[in-house]
Amino acid sequence: MLSWSGTEQGMEVDLVSVQAATGGVAVNFAAELVSFATAATNYDTGDGNDDSALATSREALISTIGLDATIDAAAVIANFEMMTRLADSTGARMPTEVVADRSATATAMGVDKVVSRR
Amino acid sequence: MNINRHDIRQDLQYAHEQAWSSLSKPGTWWSGAQRRELAVTALMAVREAEPLPPWVTVSSVAGRIPNSRAAPLMAHDAIYRIARHASTLTSDWYARVCQQIDPLAYIELCGIACTVASIASFRRALGLECPELAEEESGEPSRKTPNNVVAAELNWVPVTAPADKSAAVVQAFTAVPETNRVIWAMADAQYIPDKEMVDPHWTRGTLSRVQMELVATRVSQQRECFY
Repeated sequence: MLSWSGTEQGMEVDLVSVQAATGGVAVNFAAELVSFATAATNYDTGDGNDDSALATSREALISTIGLDATIDAAAVIANFEMMTRLADSTGARMPTEVVADRSATATAMGVDKVVSRR
Repeated sequence: MNINRHDIRQDLQYAHEQAWSSLSKPGTWWSGAQRRELAVTALMAVREAEPLPPWVTVSSVAGRIPNSRAAPLMAHDAIYRIARHASTLTSDWYARVCQQIDPLAYIELCGIACTVASIASFRRALGLECPELAEEESGEPSRKTPNNVVAAELNWVPVTAPADKSAAVVQAFTAVPETNRVIWAMADAQYIPDKEMVDPHWTRGTLSRVQMELVATRVSQQRECFY
């Protein structure tokens, strides 16, 4: 979806950069968005409430893209915390031909050998 | 900056309030008491700074699950694993769970895990406390079953016919329509309304589509979700 929407808008999205948490260079505020998403999904550093890395990345995002956009970024994070569990708990898989088409993307993202590949 | 509920757009607030309150109400296969109890276990799973490893069941650790329970231990074990270690699940694990839990009840359980993980994540990302779960409502599960539930190739779980004509994530919860409705109402408010999905230029006026996909991709990668 990221590659598709980027292409449709004439943007190059570097998936290796996304995996490295540095953001894709052509997307506005990519580094801040990826930093926020990374901190928000790192549960091992907090106790379910806040932690300093998350608070810092949230404030940085608010100062660059504003409060409403930051809330919408949190909503997207929430959605994919939901969808990843939906996919993995129901054994969702893509048709074989689709997996083959996306193998390069999966490799770039470092998810080509994960347990959830089925 | 302190964020409060008035900063959150109303459709998103509404979707979350509806989903959160449903956790304490009778569902299709689980009672209100069972659903609330399983939601508490899911919340514990996503909040723990030092979670149990995937191969340790939550019921095997003293003090994690109440001695007096409404839901079976297997359901607690399953929802803990889904909420915290979803990427480690295998078809063998699913088969073992379904030796004790009906596949349709399992789907509803997955929906509870998804709801808790989503809303807890949203609140935490914004530095907001998670709301308390409401007291459980009495009443029996509806046990409403579509008359066209079939096996699927693209999911472990059964779906409504015709199977495998839509994406696996889209058909995954269709055999439990109320769970399916709640989850996709949340998705519409959190991400992109279903009817806008095909438009790469659609936005809410805040994040661009590609910015949304960037965040989505990073979360999926963090969760090691191949799909």
